[in-house]
This record gives sequence, C-alpha cells and structure tokens, in this order.
Amino acid sequence: MPVMTYVQAVGRGLWEEMERDPAVLMIGEDIGVYGGAFKVTDGFLAHFGRERVIDTPISESAIVGAAVGMSYLGLRPVCELQFIDFIACCFNQITNFVAKSHYRWGAPVPMVIRGPAGGGVHGGPFHSQNPEMYFVHTPGLKVVCPSSAYDAKGLIKAAVRDNNPVLFFEHKFLYRRVKEEVPEDDYIVPLGQAAVRREGRDLTLVTYAAMVQVCLDAAEQLEKEDGLACEVIDLRTLLPLDKETILSSLRKTNKLLVVHEDTRTGGIAGEIAAMVMEEAFDQLDGPLMRVTSLDTPVPYSPPLEEYFLPNAAKVVKAARDLARY
Amino acid sequence: MTVQSGKKPSATATKTNRRKMTQPRNNKGAGLSQAQLLEMYHLLLKCRLVDERARVLFRQGKFKGNHYSAVGQEAVTVGTLYGCQPSDWVGPSHRDMVAALVKGVPVKLIMAQLYACVDSPDRGKSTPAHFGSPEHNIITPASTIAAQWQLVTGVALGLKMQKREGICFAYAGDGATSTGAWHEAVNFAGVHKLGIIYVIQNNLWAESVPLRLQTAAKNLADKAVGYGMPGVVVDGMDLLAVHKAAQEAVRRARAGQGPTLIECKTYRWYGHSEIDPARYRSQEEVAAWKKRDPIPLFEKQLAELGISAGSVKKQFEDEINREIEEAVAAAEASPYPDPAEAWDHIYAE
Ligand SMILES: Cc1ncc(C[n+]2csc(CCOP(=O)(O)OP(=O)(O)O)c2C)c(N)n1
Ligand SMILES: [Mg+2]
Repeated sequence: MPVMTYVQAVGRGLWEEMERDPAVLMIGEDIGVYGGAFKVTDGFLAHFGRERVIDTPISESAIVGAAVGMSYLGLRPVCELQFIDFIACCFNQITNFVAKSHYRWGAPVPMVIRGPAGGGVHGGPFHSQNPEMYFVHTPGLKVVCPSSAYDAKGLIKAAVRDNNPVLFFEHKFLYRRVKEEVPEDDYIVPLGQAAVRREGRDLTLVTYAAMVQVCLDAAEQLEKEDGLACEVIDLRTLLPLDKETILSSLRKTNKLLVVHEDTRTGGIAGEIAAMVMEEAFDQLDGPLMRVTSLDTPVPYSPPLEEYFLPNAAKVVKAARDLARY
Repeated sequence: MTVQSGKKPSATATKTNRRKMTQPRNNKGAGLSQAQLLEMYHLLLKCRLVDERARVLFRQGKFKGNHYSAVGQEAVTVGTLYGCQPSDWVGPSHRDMVAALVKGVPVKLIMAQLYACVDSPDRGKSTPAHFGSPEHNIITPASTIAAQWQLVTGVALGLKMQKREGICFAYAGDGATSTGAWHEAVNFAGVHKLGIIYVIQNNLWAESVPLRLQTAAKNLADKAVGYGMPGVVVDGMDLLAVHKAAQEAVRRARAGQGPTLIECKTYRWYGHSEIDPARYRSQEEVAAWKKRDPIPLFEKQLAELGISAGSVKKQFEDEINREIEEAVAAAEASPYPDPAEAWDHIYAE
C-alpha cells in the first residue's frame, strides 16, 4: 500500500473520481498550472485538460454560482476555495441558493466545496478559521471534516458521489503532518458515520479533524498517568451528525467531553450537549464538558495562537475534572 | 533626511521613458521642486530597501506567516501617495506594506508588525502584511481581496457627509478586479461622487493566474466607463507619470468631482509570496521587467532634469539602512505579547 500524506490523499481521491466519471470537474483559483495553493490538484491540468480543470478569476461567489449551474446539466463540480476563510465571499450562494435549491424547486445540486481550514500554522485571523458551524446551521448542506489520510480519500470520493452539496473542510495543519498507508482501491468512507478511534470505558472524548490526534495523545497520557480508559470518537461528518455512535459510547462511559478547534460559542459541542439532554439525559454521570478554542478571532502572534488553540494538556486537565464525578 | 533644495527642475528635460499613455505630456518634472523630487527618490529607495530587508528576515525565520513583496512596484506606491495629507486615508492591499512609509510611518512600527511583538500597533493580533494605523489613517488590510475598496468608499462618504478634509487612496491588484467587492465599491463611489483615488496595481499576475484568465478587457481602467468615472492607464514603472496621473485624480477628488480609477502597469519581481517560486512565468518575462526597474528609470529622469541622483544615493541608502537596522534591533529586543492578550480588544470599552 502506498504511503500518502493527507493532502495527497485528497488529491488521489479527486483524481480517481475524475477518472471514474467524466462529469466530475475541478474549478477554482490557481488550481491549474499551479496545482492549487496546497498542490491538491498538482498534475490535474496536464492529465485532464482545461475543460475539466478550470482556473477562475478571483470570484468565489461566481465559482460557486457557476458550479450550481453546471450541476443542473449533470456535471459534478468540485470547487476549491484557496483558504476556507474565503467561503465568506460566497456565503450568499451557499446558504441561500445551494442549500435550498432542491427544497425550492427539486433541482439537486451535486457539488463539493472544499478547501483548507484550521489553525496552528501561524496564518492569523484570515487563514486559520474553522467556519464549519455556519454551514452546520444550514439545512440542505452536508459538512465533512476528515482527520486521516485514509478518510480524506474515502470521504472526498463519497462527497463527489453524493447528490447533495457537500462542504469538505480539509485541515491544513494535517496536510503534510499526517502520513499513512492509503489503499489504492476504489473505496469510500460513507458520509454521516463517525469512527471510534480508541476504545475505553471511563469517559468519551468526541472530536474531529486536527483535534483527533490531540485527543488520542491526551487519552494515551490519561491511561498511563491516571489509569483512565478514554474512548475517542472521530465525528468525520458534522452534518448529518452520527448521533448513534456518540450515544452508544455514552451508554458505556456515562461521561462526555467534546473537543473542537472551532471557537466555543456556537460550536458543535453545544449542539451535542443539547442532543444528549434530549436523548440520553439519564446516562450522564457528570456534566458534558468541552475543550475548545477561545471565543476570539484567531490571533497571529505565535504565543497568542498557542494560547488560543486546544492542546493535549488542556484536554487532560478537563478529562481529569470530568473523571472526578 | 537631508535634501538639496532650491534648484528648480531643468526645463531642458528631454524624452522621458513613457509609453503611449493617457496622461499629459507636458511638464516633465510634474511641477515638483528639486527638493520634492529628491524626497520622492528617497522614498523610492526606502520602499525598496525595507521590502528587501523584510524578505531576508522572513527567509531567516525571524517572523512567521508570510511576506508579499512589492519590489518592482514602488513607483506606483510612491507616485500615487506622495504629497498626500495627514488627513487623507489609505486602504492598502496585502502587498502594500511599504505604503505606510510614504504616509510617514517609521520603519520601527513596520518591523514591530512583522515580529508581532508588543510594539506592533495591533499587539500581534494580525499578520505581518496587515499593518494598520488609526493614527496615520491607514486601514488594516483584510485578506479577503478588495475589501479595502469598500471600506474607503465608506470613509469617503463619511468625510463628505461631515464636510471634513481628506480624500482616500485604495490599492488592489489586477486579480482583485474580478471580485464582486471591487465592483460594488467602485459603482457606489461613482454614484456618490466620492473623493477616492482607486489604484490598480496591474502586475499581470494574481498568484499563478495570468491577466488573460482574469479579464477579457483590454485595459482594467476600461472598467471605469461602466461606473461613470475617468479610467486612466499609466506606466507604473515611471514614477513621474504615475504621480502626474495621481495628481489629476487628487485634484478631482479634493474638488468634489468624484473618484478616478488609475491602472498602473507594473510587475512584481518575486513570487506572489516568499514561499512561491513563481515557476508559472518565464525567466525572459521577469528579466524584461527587471530592465524597467523604476529606480534607475527615475534616476534617468532626474538626470534629464539636471539633478544628479548619484551624488545623494549613498547618503540616502545609508540613512535608510541605519533606520532599518535600528528598527530590526528594536523588534528583536521586543518581547511577544503575553499569551492571555489573545482575549484583549475583542470589544471596545
Ligand atoms: C477573496 C479572496 N480570494 C482569494 C484569496 C487568495 N489570494 C490572495 S492574494 C491573491 C492574488 C491577488 O492578485 P492581485 O489582486 O492581482 O494582487 P497581487 O497579489 O498581484 O498584488 C489571491 C488569489 C484571497 N486572499 N481572498
Ligand atoms: Mg496581480
């Protein structure tokens, strides 16, 4: 099995989908000759040609709007946003049109909007954000946040094949730091299914994207130092949310700590807390707790950013507090 | 700085390096005194030297994030902003770090911004490219391309409403003209006849995307027609030509006659940022543009006006380098803000 980085795995998944289905095409800024700001589409232009690898003007709103139009003809566009922060520039198209197209006139929009999200790379306030929850709040969309190279390939392929608009948030901190064996086969990872990354009976850590490794590191430390067995759940897809995997883990551990890199207020932790109140209140042996980024913009200065982001030490501390209940 | 003053520009200036451009052909020294011309020269050198120093510092790992060099484009910055008043506003793009120098910001503050230390105006909140200073009426750039064009539109509208002194300068690249934000700003400013000089730094590339994939228009300045304002094309390597075009726009803006769109044809010598090797463009293209380096071009113009740049160059460079080295030393010595400052300044008091 070839060893691939996360970023290569996304590219590989897209490549295979383009080979498989001539309706699939790439559209975005600097994705052609340049192969994308992070090289996801490196080599695509030479292989698939200009008609299917479209370098656009700097026009995020038109990229998404045009992709909708193409999807009406049976094409399956994959839009690249150079940094996911710039999704703000096509917010109207996504939330008002893309998400509601099928609801309003029965026209499905099979498209993917993908790009690098997340911090930890000193990108500052406009190149580090995690804007997933704006879209988790929008019915009609699907929201995917992979944490591994294996998933990145399998999920992007599932996203391309889905008949609904899928927002695909790649974590740029993981792009080249995650490197693992990725099968060459044509496999998909279904949307809407979480994965249990580590089994445990004492408490459950629910997380996604770059925080999965942080939680695994914390779980390792808690096992060694405290004898605590933490279960780690990787959500993989935020919308639709795999409630069942969360609830069945909760039934086992009776304690839930949600960890996300997104800021605190309005993050997925709050949504999971409400869901647990509604569906499994009697399973809780302690309060649902959360470790998140601060409710601030992402600061640039390195020590400020480090302070802003969650890390294993913060997770360990919260898990210890929770374990005491 | 010291400049020799007094001597009027020679009236015998001959042909200046100018292509077929739509700006006046008379008045070779752009009505500037020798002192003023030398002050512009000083600024031109300063923009170059500060930017080159920033590149080295980034490569040495002295600051993180990225650096977007404007080397090659200095004549646009200096030519448009020279002579602006403290009450005037500037909306820079990601590539306009050096615009602050022309607005009178000390190099020390720029270096502090790069180092994201306690002395930086934003105390490390934003990235190196995002220098802003309320005190100097320099709006902090936003990464979302062309946002600043809308912000200055509002500033200009406010200045007009409050009958306050001041006009606005907004900068953006060729690629920015493809955004909705850009068009909304220019249209709005046209309707309200706002005092704005909109400057397009057409350096032919937006990251790896060539101009022909950005627009089907012959000139970007042509877009002005649709918004009811003059569109001017100027050789962005020719400092005096840029300045003349800008001065006419400034006159219009101050007289309440509305905005002007100026397209400066220019070139960035280096990659989009320091991490871009710019393999998408040919060596020949780069070499041809480097031959049109705005600094020797201006030196030649000065010579034609009877002013010897050579006699002051070394002195100017020494002065500037001294200021740069002091600024770097100060930034090096300045600590990062306390991490908990991440919580500060989210809301106003
Ligand atoms: C809305 C938005 N889309 C994309 C980007 C990524 N990006 C940063 S600079 C740039 C190219 C800008 O080109 P141009 O306007 O010509 O300015 P130049 O860099 O050449 O000075 C792009 C695409 C961005 N910052 N904002
Ligand atoms: Mg450009």
